[in-house]
Amino acid sequence: MKIILAILLLTPVFTFSQDDLLDEIDKNSNNIENVNAVFKGLKIVNFESTKLVAKKELNFIVSHRFGSIKNGIDTFFGLDNAVTRLNFVYGITDAINLGVSRSSFLKVYDITAKYRLIQQQHNGFPFTIVGFNAVLINTALDKNNLPLLEFKHRLGYTMQFLISRKINQDLSLQLAPTFFHDNYVLIDEQDNSQFALGLGGRYKLGKRWSINADYGIHLNRADNSLFRNPLSVGFDLETGGHVFQMHFSNAQAMNTNGFLGQGNGDWSDGNIYFGFNLSRTF
Amino acid sequence: MKNLIIYFLLCFSCSLVSQNKYITKTGNINFEASVPAFEEVKAEHKIVTAILNSDNGEFAALALVKGFRFKNALMEEHFNENYAESDTYPKATFKGKIIDFDLSNLNLQASSFVIKGELTFHGKTIQFDNLDILISKNKDIISISGSFKTKAADFDIKIPKIVRSKIAKNIEVTFNYLLKRKLKFN
Repeated sequence: MKIILAILLLTPVFTFSQDDLLDEIDKNSNNIENVNAVFKGLKIVNFESTKLVAKKELNFIVSHRFGSIKNGIDTFFGLDNAVTRLNFVYGITDAINLGVSRSSFLKVYDITAKYRLIQQQHNGFPFTIVGFNAVLINTALDKNNLPLLEFKHRLGYTMQFLISRKINQDLSLQLAPTFFHDNYVLIDEQDNSQFALGLGGRYKLGKRWSINADYGIHLNRADNSLFRNPLSVGFDLETGGHVFQMHFSNAQAMNTNGFLGQGNGDWSDGNIYFGFNLSRTF
Repeated sequence: MKNLIIYFLLCFSCSLVSQNKYITKTGNINFEASVPAFEEVKAEHKIVTAILNSDNGEFAALALVKGFRFKNALMEEHFNENYAESDTYPKATFKGKIIDFDLSNLNLQASSFVIKGELTFHGKTIQFDNLDILISKNKDIISISGSFKTKAADFDIKIPKIVRSKIAKNIEVTFNYLLKRKLKFN
């Protein structure tokens, strides 16, 4: 009884302590809320990031990869052999994006779909999971060289999951298990169906710029393949509606199938490509 | 048992002398920093919590900074990430007192009052000594509205050179609260 009385006598003290109006409305908000701004760009470097274009917004992304810097001044550090990709991505909703692009690397057209399945939350789900699919059409294959070529050989497909976590305000990491299929591969020993695991991340160096890197581990590359796993390092710089991404990579292609399957540079002998992505939101 | 009864009596008597409070969870704050000929920079917040003690005119408001909605998602992201830093400073608060507040003088016609108090945003607090506000009352609802001009620099928010010409120096802030009588034991 005495204990109960003591508790009862203590309770009113709590009631009186609400005198400060601000304290009365400033309830400790352990609200579940979505984590935003995991990455600045739609891509980390080569790999897609879990960022999507917002609803009813159109992003135009111009990407360049110069030729190998290895030949130095002779090709002006690769400027002479640059490839370009023009890419439009539209936000149907905040969670569904459709895109089309044309790359001068193998004259590839592609149609892409990117969709968020679940978003990382404060006090909630720890990851953002996004799906990415693409259909690619290689229009550089030539019937004169490949007499048996049919249209289906030009096609390639990408199926990818992007799993990211914003560890803190500065550091975000991502895993990208990837399956891709090319109906035409350069060497017979290479399976048409290929598997890869992408690792990527960004670290913010300031409010508006970050250092980014990604690496793709090809899981069933043919033993005699000349291609190598793509490693890329770069910087993001954001200025209002633009994001600039400048980077070095040992893959010159910018489509997922291209940089995973046909990266032919090599960091160890300086055979790498300078490039940038420039994105503008409309 | 007797003690319990005494306690409950105490409790009720407390509530009888307890203050009259008016509260809202859907207050509005808007700010605009647009420069003509450039992209519109303005935001609206529709879920501001505010409370008024009608016995002494004390007033407080709280807005979660992430609740400001902009014209587009990118602007909103940049506002939270680069300017307001809402992960570090999640709340904007105001705490003050309406001078010479008298509930019985309020009516449907809005009348002018002066409020003084302090506004905290982005970790910085600024003082208002005589901010004009309009107050009206319709049955159990008190409406408070007003506006003021402020600068990003007052709150230690740096605007980078590259966008400085696109964001107005003087930011116009307007607010509007419809406060309902708070029920006791609620």
